[in-house]
This record gives sequence, structure tokens and C-alpha cells, in this order.
Amino acid sequence: MSKENTSLPLEYRTEENRLKVFGFWIFLGAEIMLFATLFTVYFVLTDRTGSGPAGIDIFEMPPVLLETFLLLTSSFLIGLGVHAMRIGRVKAMIVFYILTLLLGAGFLAVEIMEFVTYVNEGATITTSAFLSSLMTLLGTHGAHVTFGLLWGIAIIVQVVKRGLNAQTANKAFIFSLYWHFLDVVWIFIFSFVYLKGVLG
Amino acid sequence: MMKELFPKEHVVGFVGSLILTLAALSVITFDMSKGIAMTILSVTALAQAVVQLVLFMHIGETEDKKTLYTSVIYAVVVGLVTVFGSLLTMIWGY
Repeated sequence: MSKENTSLPLEYRTEENRLKVFGFWIFLGAEIMLFATLFTVYFVLTDRTGSGPAGIDIFEMPPVLLETFLLLTSSFLIGLGVHAMRIGRVKAMIVFYILTLLLGAGFLAVEIMEFVTYVNEGATITTSAFLSSLMTLLGTHGAHVTFGLLWGIAIIVQVVKRGLNAQTANKAFIFSLYWHFLDVVWIFIFSFVYLKGVLG
Repeated sequence: MMKELFPKEHVVGFVGSLILTLAALSVITFDMSKGIAMTILSVTALAQAVVQLVLFMHIGETEDKKTLYTSVIYAVVVGLVTVFGSLLTMIWGY
């Protein structure tokens, strides 16, 4: 296979870069299974509330809707960032990536406040099997977002310092896949943890 | 110049994901049976995932797309078997 294929977007032009994107999709497959096991534990233990509160007692929809809106919008923005990258608009790309991370940080802030509220209401990770599984699921997702913020900052710094080339474009594109994936996981948490929980 | 930064498929995907979120929200704003509610949630969540994968992540844009579809579908099937297998044996009581 030729070393450079200029008919493809910058991030796909070398064989190595194509394989990196491919490998990241395989990794996302493993992430799907990881979250599936966490959802499984949550579904199995969701009624084991012991003497603690159930989901319907502690879930509050306004902050959850805000989190959903923040993450959906940030996923849209990083998509625009990749598009801007592909048409060579580096400044616009950097602005979209920064906005993406700001909304991600906003999501995290709301989620942390939500956890603080739970703890203040006496709903901690050791209160019941339901809360242990809930906080493991939410916490694993939140940890992914936190890691994503650090990763995203590193990507922006590299693009600012080195400009767009096959390597930085490839890294920026792979990060966008990760960020969209976190949004997909959140949609399932929103639907099958919060909305299902409020249904009782 | 601004317009080229907002491609149609991304805007459509974003509006679609907002509409799907509102549709999912209908399960708690309207009175309905649990079965119907769970069906609506399953359909809207799946549609949201497809919007992200196809419109935002461009899963089908490369030559190895068949392998990507296979890999993602395999992961989803293993995940569903884990979830529903566990519910079947431990909760629903078969």
C-alpha cells in the first residue's frame, strides 16, 4: 500500500494512521462490553435498596437533563471540530475543541454536585447494593469524561504547537471518536438509569 | 464562510438527538404502561446511538467499514447477552 494517499482526509493518509483508527474502534468494542457489564450489575441490583433510598427517591430530572444537554451539545461541537479540521480551518477547529471541553467540564461539575447531593441525603456508595452499582456505573463514565478532558487539552496543545499534519489530525480524530462514544454511553445511562428509575 | 463550518448532516444529527431526548422524556411526562415506556426508551436510545455512530463518528467512511460494523455489532451482542442473560437467570426467575 502506498505511504500517502492524498484522496483521503489527513488523519487517514498513512497506513499506520488508518490502523490506529481501526484499532481504536476495536478498543471501543471492548468499552461497550465494559459498560454492558456495569449496566448488568446495576440492573440486577437495582431493587436491592436495603434501608436506603431507591432511584425514584433521589433522582432529580432538571440536573440530569442539563447533563444530557451539555454532553449532546459537546458531542455535536467536536463533530464540527473534525469537519473544520477536514476543510483545513484550524482556528475554527481549535475553537470547537475548546468549546467541547468546556461543556464536558460543565457536565462534570453538574455530576459532582449531584453526587454531593446524594451523599448529603445519606445515599453513599456503601449504603446499599443499588447505590454501589449506581455509583460504580456513573463513576466509571465520569472518570472517562475526566480522562477525556485531560486528553483533549493535550490534543489542543499539540495542534496549536505543531499545526495540522497527518499525526496531529489522526490524534484529534481518534479523540473525537472517544468523546462521541462517551455521549452514547450517557444516553443509555439517561434512559435506563434515570428515566427508568423515575418510572419506579 | 460560517456556513461551511456547519455541515447539514451534523446539524440534522444534533436536532435529531434533541428530538429523541424529548421523545425519551415523554415516558415520565405522560401516563403509560411500563412495557410501552421501556419500548420507547429502547427505540430512542438505539436511534441516538445510530445518530452518533453514523452521522458524527462516520463509521461507514473507510474501506474497512464491514470489519468495523462486525466489531461493533459483536460487542453489542455480547453486551446484550450479558445484560439479558443475567436478568433472565437472576431477576426474572427462570
